[in-house]
Amino acid sequence: MEALIAGLDAALRIDTFIWISGGLLLGMLMGSLPGFTTSMGMSVLVPISFLVGDPLIGIPFLIGVYKGGIYGGSVPAILISMPGTGASIATVFDGHELTKKGQPRKALEMGLYASAISDLFSDLFTLVMIIPVAAIVLGFGPPEIAAVMFLSLVIISVTSTGPVIKGLLMLCLGVLFGFIGADPFSGAARYTFGTNQLYDGFHLIPMLIGLFALPEIFKAVKEGDQTNSRIAQFVGDHLNFSELRRSLRTIFRSTAIGTSIGLVPGLGQPIAAMMGYIAAKNSSDTPERFGKGELDGVAGAEAANNAVNGPTMVPLLTLGIPGDAVTALLLGAFMMQGLRPGPTLMETNGDIVFAILIAMVFANILFLIIGYLTIPLFAKVVTIKRSLLIPVTIMLAFAGTYLARSNPFDIVTLIGFGLIGIAARSAKFDVAPMVMGFILGRELEYTFGQTLALAGDDWLRFIFVERLGMTAVVLATPIIGVTLGARMNRFRQKAIAGEQA
Amino acid sequence: MLPSQADFLFTLVVFILAVLALIFSGKFIVDPPIPLDSNLLAMNSRVFPILILMGTVIVSFSFLLSAIRSKNIESSRMGLINVMNISKGLWRQCVFLVITITSALLLVTLGFITTMFFLMVSTAFLVGNRNLIQIIVISAFMPVGFYIVVTHVLRTALPEVDIVQKFLAPLIRLLPAF
Repeated sequence: MEALIAGLDAALRIDTFIWISGGLLLGMLMGSLPGFTTSMGMSVLVPISFLVGDPLIGIPFLIGVYKGGIYGGSVPAILISMPGTGASIATVFDGHELTKKGQPRKALEMGLYASAISDLFSDLFTLVMIIPVAAIVLGFGPPEIAAVMFLSLVIISVTSTGPVIKGLLMLCLGVLFGFIGADPFSGAARYTFGTNQLYDGFHLIPMLIGLFALPEIFKAVKEGDQTNSRIAQFVGDHLNFSELRRSLRTIFRSTAIGTSIGLVPGLGQPIAAMMGYIAAKNSSDTPERFGKGELDGVAGAEAANNAVNGPTMVPLLTLGIPGDAVTALLLGAFMMQGLRPGPTLMETNGDIVFAILIAMVFANILFLIIGYLTIPLFAKVVTIKRSLLIPVTIMLAFAGTYLARSNPFDIVTLIGFGLIGIAARSAKFDVAPMVMGFILGRELEYTFGQTLALAGDDWLRFIFVERLGMTAVVLATPIIGVTLGARMNRFRQKAIAGEQA
Repeated sequence: MLPSQADFLFTLVVFILAVLALIFSGKFIVDPPIPLDSNLLAMNSRVFPILILMGTVIVSFSFLLSAIRSKNIESSRMGLINVMNISKGLWRQCVFLVITITSALLLVTLGFITTMFFLMVSTAFLVGNRNLIQIIVISAFMPVGFYIVVTHVLRTALPEVDIVQKFLAPLIRLLPAF
């Protein structure tokens, strides 16, 4: 409770709100540009978050980028039928139909209100949830943490984009990259090829920028300067209160769906948006109107994708497990600020964690105000030439990488992982499991080693008497993995059928 | 290249590298000069890497096998058609890669501003901007502005050659202290 009060005191700072506003604007800008993803935007902006020095400025700034980016993706989805981010694919179905009917303003405002309401409630849920979860996690020892990490790695690989086998392969690659450097127990040099630079292993920031930003730039170079010939007009009536009230049920249903999905590592916004949209359609009295410009369709998708943002922080902050690529970037930002997400974070830096979460809640109010005022501006941003922004992005990628440690070797790492990202993208492999494997693999090895040390010789007693929780999680992992994998396959087929329809 | 060919090739490369790493794992993992006694170590440093390498070999082999069995690799004729379509942007991507790698290697030697100017001009041109004034203005002012903000406001070093630092010093002196 003391930490919560200290956090509230620390969060209410004018500079924090200024940086959140900046983050929201930058996020909306990135999201509004077709071809720019939230993860790409965040990857080049992570270094700025630690350059400001204060975690209560840097982290909320990135959270602003995250929130703004997810909403910003809906702007081109609605106006020109080009989802700015993967999270906005479901928004296209009805959002663009509303534009065709001459009501883009209504669709964009519904998207904004649905996003802000769901974000607010999911953040409040996160704030409430984090206390009991942190209390439970505090009782975890290395065996339980190792078991939960193992479970998370399985979930992440089966829920990644594309076939499970591809997710597993990328996960293995990520874990292998994590092993490069000194062994945490003996100090043995693993895969360093005699170089000193590799002895400390690869740094997370160049890896993330390389994997997320460079392939996007590479793709833009191939496609050339595609100025959208379709004119993005911001016209039509405002959304009225009765229309918003009619969609509130959908918004709250999608908030619940998005919040639940956010708690599970690996699922992410695109799945939440699609599930929110399908749930809205299935429970509607007029499902035949979906896909033809139904406001509930926009509300269902947008509320669900934004509701994911807050709860992804629960496994990140309490267990150190990032749920998706964006939270992996946030993990990098936390680590650069000297904060190590995991079971002890709440104990050691509880006030900072609460301050960040409270700032997230307040960010939603700023999000609503800034979003409402800037919708016309971002409607114009959709048509900005990419050739103006891509060079700036590559400069930020280089500068951000160098600034992380002032180590020229990191630039080589950036290029190396950039090439891997480009190859993986062209082969349609999702790089997110690779990042998770890189982050969690080493930790899993370390906690597993600690578990072995704790078990000693009497490991049967250790497994079946002393650490039943760990045993239960390990035994449940294949069952959860297979069930989730099968469900994901069914869901993917449904989503493809829905998209085709 | 078709995606089915591309992912086959990607997996094949991973498979070969994983097999090589597994074969030579004894050489790639070097014990410290004073190795700890096995009683003190909970786990050998080779256990996890070898397990994951074996996992990588099995997963990549299964993928390759299933791709071959399902004849997932498209015919070379289709592949050729696709390659011809892609080749429009392919040369730009190749040039971009060369420029990016060169810039990465020259960053410390040439300094941040010069390297970024070169990289940004090339990238803008490759993406399709043909407005020379626009390209030069953005490529010159953005790195200079960023350099000043980072070094003067945030007080963090970026690599820069002496001559550029001396050139910018009077400008930086004019700015208020932060």
